[in-house]
Amino acid sequence: MKAARIATLGIVAALAACSGQSDSPATAGSSMTLVGAGSTFVYPFFSRAFDAYQKANPGVTINYQSIGSGGGIQQFTAHTVDFGATDVPMSAKDLSAIEGGRNSIVEFPVALGGVAIAYDVPGAASGLVLSPDVLASIYLGTVKTWSDPRIARLNRSTKLPDLAIVVVHRADASGTTFIFTDYLSAVSAGWKARVGKSKTVSWPAPSSVGMKGNEGVAGQIKNTPGAIGYVELAYALETEMTYASIVNASGAVVAPSIASVRAAAATKPGVDPVDFSIVNASGKAAYPIAGYTWALLYKHYPDTPKQAALCDLFHWVEADGQKLAVGLDYVDIPSAVSARSAAALGPCTL
Amino acid sequence: MSRLAVRNAWSAFMICVAAACAGIAALLLAIIVLYVLSKGAGALRPTFFTQIPRPVGIPGGGVANAILGSAEIIALASIAAVPIGTAAGVYLALFGRGRVAASVRFLSDVLTGVPSIAIGVFAYALVVLPARQFSAVSASVALGIIMLPIIVRTTEEAVRLVPHTIREGALALGIPAWKATLLVTVPVARPGITTGVLLAIARVAGESAPLLFTAFGNPQWSVGLTHPIAALPLVIFQYAISPYKDWQQTAWGGALVLIALVFALNLAARVALRSRFAR
Repeated sequence: MKAARIATLGIVAALAACSGQSDSPATAGSSMTLVGAGSTFVYPFFSRAFDAYQKANPGVTINYQSIGSGGGIQQFTAHTVDFGATDVPMSAKDLSAIEGGRNSIVEFPVALGGVAIAYDVPGAASGLVLSPDVLASIYLGTVKTWSDPRIARLNRSTKLPDLAIVVVHRADASGTTFIFTDYLSAVSAGWKARVGKSKTVSWPAPSSVGMKGNEGVAGQIKNTPGAIGYVELAYALETEMTYASIVNASGAVVAPSIASVRAAAATKPGVDPVDFSIVNASGKAAYPIAGYTWALLYKHYPDTPKQAALCDLFHWVEADGQKLAVGLDYVDIPSAVSARSAAALGPCTL
Repeated sequence: MSRLAVRNAWSAFMICVAAACAGIAALLLAIIVLYVLSKGAGALRPTFFTQIPRPVGIPGGGVANAILGSAEIIALASIAAVPIGTAAGVYLALFGRGRVAASVRFLSDVLTGVPSIAIGVFAYALVVLPARQFSAVSASVALGIIMLPIIVRTTEEAVRLVPHTIREGALALGIPAWKATLLVTVPVARPGITTGVLLAIARVAGESAPLLFTAFGNPQWSVGLTHPIAALPLVIFQYAISPYKDWQQTAWGGALVLIALVFALNLAARVALRSRFAR
């Protein structure tokens, strides 16, 4: 019995030690853990950029979980994470769930990327040409095979197999889905009327597969001959997927790249949480399916050191962090936009 | 053909069918183990067990933090679930009579069948939302709830199997009921109880659904009870659906580690049971 009591005491002591270890560093200021969640679109960028930030700031650890923009907004609203990230700014409805609404949060762009239309078609390399109309028709389910004459007409030099098209989309609430459906709504009246734009939509194509996260969509496309889907450009480039060039609003055939996404963003130098869409940009070099990722912060945190740490982190993301973007297959956000983000964040001295 | 010959032939045929079914069941397990071995063995480099994950797209790294995190969550869940579960099981076997005991038994059986994701959402609402943070504790609450009914029912069965005469002998010598329970009945049932506990641990070791919104995951070292924590099933889930080859292989490696763990726990359960009969 005595042994058992000593064992119990030991366990209690160990637990106390564990919890002590977790609490004391945060209060001591020597170590700080910041928890964030949301966009999978931005995840490869955040993962590598935060790693660089942690190396430069050994006292800070950042735990970012890519659960999708919808999940990020939800957990940010529930105060279970310190910051959120989403590829579509919070809507009026989203904001109504937050006490104080728009005035109690700070929302600003942290990354810029393109949405690649990736596919796995035997015999087809990157660069299949898709027009907005054909892309919408594929997702509407009216173009069902890769040998469809409407695709063939755009790609005379490639022999496309008689293979059924499997449409891959996001199963979770996704900012990437918003960017993609925002684009389809801009170019196709049929899509706008039947489906519209949202983080989650009801997908009309009969042979469609829903996957979780950009990661899941990319993995599914790579493993499914005949599949087509939309993923952030970094996923397509880093995992060597094949992806389409899109006919843009000016009639030019443009492949997604750092330069073509940058050109699209340049057509709209001022973005804000209400007027944020940069899809269907015109201009010879502009890739038409692109968007920003927005960070979500509260204006006031009860934990003052945490607020200072978050402020410092995101000032870094807007400045030095953007210098890493191109190396990680993202586009550094225009300086006018990042300057406005830094102003929205304000000074970090508290 | 005579009637008897037809019967014998029919019997032989059915035995063959049953044997084939048994073979299929064993074969499936063998295929799963071999497949996971072939896919995952390559991932089990020393760094797999010593390093934390690298950032996305950078090869290398390991899942040491997830292994440690899983161990911590399961240990904490066991600390809570084992005493409550065994005590409840002993009560049901020795003292539980009438409606109360019957309802506890029934509810415990229902709890066994509740989908683990529902228990995860419950822990999210009960622990994560009020505390305003994802945490190791919330994950342990979820896993502990899943373990509880398994421990209750196996303990009850194990204690029931202890011959009444042993207990009655103790009581006849004037030993108080509580002493007879703790020092006579429970020790005899201990191998069975241990088996139940080990099987409950094996059951929750591979659970990912209840951890999604409790443990939440963590790419860093983290042992704090009030912080998000990495867990092996979460890493497998995240890595398996990823498009990165390196991560996919790590997911297979993680699956292999989990299968090995469950196998070891089952083996330990068998050894514990056998020691009972060796007495």
